[in-house]
Amino acid sequence: MSQKLSRRNVLAKISAALAAACAAPAAQAAKATVQKVLVESGGAKGYDPTKHKWAMAIDASRCIGCGSCADACKKENHVPEGHYYRTWIERYVITKPKPGSDEARGEVLVDSPEGGMHGFGPCPVPKEELLQSFFVPKLCNLCLHSPCAQVCPVGATFDSPDGAVLVDRKYCIGCGFCIQACPYGCRFMSPVTHTAEKCTLCYHRITRGLKPACVEVCPVQARIFGDLKNPVPDDPLQTFYKNNRVQTLKPHLGTEPRVMYAGIDKEVR
Amino acid sequence: MRLFNMPPQIVRLCLVTIGIVGSYLVARAVLTPPSFREYGFFRGDALKDIMALPPQYGGKVSCDECHSDQFTKLNKGGHKRLSCEVCHGPGYAHTQSPDAGMHKPTFTVCSKCHEANPSRPKTHKQIVLKEHYAGGKCMECHVPHSPAEVP
Ligand code: HEC
Ligand code: HEC
Ligand code: HEC
Ligand code: HEC
Repeated sequence: MSQKLSRRNVLAKISAALAAACAAPAAQAAKATVQKVLVESGGAKGYDPTKHKWAMAIDASRCIGCGSCADACKKENHVPEGHYYRTWIERYVITKPKPGSDEARGEVLVDSPEGGMHGFGPCPVPKEELLQSFFVPKLCNLCLHSPCAQVCPVGATFDSPDGAVLVDRKYCIGCGFCIQACPYGCRFMSPVTHTAEKCTLCYHRITRGLKPACVEVCPVQARIFGDLKNPVPDDPLQTFYKNNRVQTLKPHLGTEPRVMYAGIDKEVR
Repeated sequence: MRLFNMPPQIVRLCLVTIGIVGSYLVARAVLTPPSFREYGFFRGDALKDIMALPPQYGGKVSCDECHSDQFTKLNKGGHKRLSCEVCHGPGYAHTQSPDAGMHKPTFTVCSKCHEANPSRPKTHKQIVLKEHYAGGKCMECHVPHSPAEVP
């Protein structure tokens, strides 16, 4: 195996070393370029996501179904035209049981014309047959164990440290698993970007110190928003938790939603 | 070629394996963004991407700076809990440069909140539009920023 230290041999070794020396910075540069393409961003500075925990609560007994929230959400987040909503309002109409029947309540009718964005028409049931009726605003339930984030194969949907469940548009491959996984129907495939979309809790607003658009425009404080880690004096969220008996949607699924509802009925799913 | 007296096909197999694993490691090192796993199994910079989106609604307090008359008036009357932008529409652009203009609503905005509907909570003030003074122009009898007031 011995080799002579020939001139040819030495030259080959020197050029190999040179090539290696050149390749290292070239690889570095290549890495930097690739990453620049992948991660370039001009986000807000000085916001530390580990220092906040945002949450929303819904007091459905206050909701007047005006649709301002769904409308504002669409405008704020440029949600595509058509039947795509990040937040919407449902109207529950429960009829009286049929005369002579031994049931406690009659039929349950649920509607949400255009997500409730332009309000609701007259009650579909005549007054004599109506047992009760109410509105329920819906949004991402901010699950503690979010099924959507669990099924994402590429880490594009995730629970952010400050409590929002977000979609990384650059990583989303549009497979649609998360849309199937969400038991609350809070996600859709954007016909524009062909990536999954959902309520971000107006992440671009709350990190700037603004309220989410739906909370901003709600005229009756049916939507309550706050930071669990930094409660303000007379924190609306803490007041809500204190004064209401709350429940979550579909608790049997074990998703542990962080959005609490007050004033809803057993029919609400 | 004989390394450690291994049969050549095993050596070749090892080399191929090292090649595959090596190119995977190189690709991973180059392609994984530095912020992946900053907070969890996702790209930490995605948070900054989403934060960078421009807002459309400026928030109620932002109007106080230039329209303190309307602001204080609104906060005294029956509409004190309303945000300006629920009637006037998104105004972030207007707060940045007033030239951007602002929607001036007409009486049609009133009905979305005040039209009587049995699904609405009983405590909310509602009118049957057609019966309430013939659904006339609401602003003739109500100041929108202070609805109990007559103009
Ligand atoms: C930087 C100061 C400034 C801020 C902040 C501001 N405005 Fe204005 N706004 C103006 C000026 C100046 C005018 C008059 C412009 C004109 O008449 O063309 C105006 C006009 C208006 C008008 C009347 C438009 C018309 O056609 O007569 C409305 C309504 C309005 N603003 C609403 C708002 C609301 C709602 C907000 C909060 C989101 C707001 N403004 C914040 C400066 C401001
Ligand atoms: C209930 C809905 C409503 C709310 C809430 C509201 N406005 Fe108005 N605003 C109107 C309507 C309607 C007009 C048009 C009045 C008219 O044509 O006489 C108007 C007119 C204005 C004008 C034009 C000048 C004037 O007084 O006619 C300004 C400026 C204005 N609003 C600012 C504000 C600001 C600032 C807020 C929040 C503090 C606010 N508005 C909240 C309904 C509303
Ligand atoms: C975004 C929803 C919304 C819009 C739009 C709206 N209102 Fe109201 N209005 C309310 C709320 C909320 C109250 C508070 C009392 C309640 O809960 O009924 C109220 C109260 C009132 C009252 C009773 C005031 C009092 O002091 O008791 C009048 C009158 C009124 N509105 C008239 C109007 C008129 C006129 C318009 C159109 C310019 C209008 N509203 C637009 C939500 C709205
Ligand atoms: C001719 C004047 C007039 C016009 C036009 C008018 N209102 Fe009124 N409105 C009144 C008076 C007076 C009251 C208080 C007494 C009452 O309840 O009738 C009132 C009360 C209300 C109330 C409170 C009802 C309650 O239960 O306390 C609301 C809400 C209201 N108006 C909304 C509107 C809306 C929306 C319009 C436009 C479609 C409108 N008004 C048009 C004169 C008017």
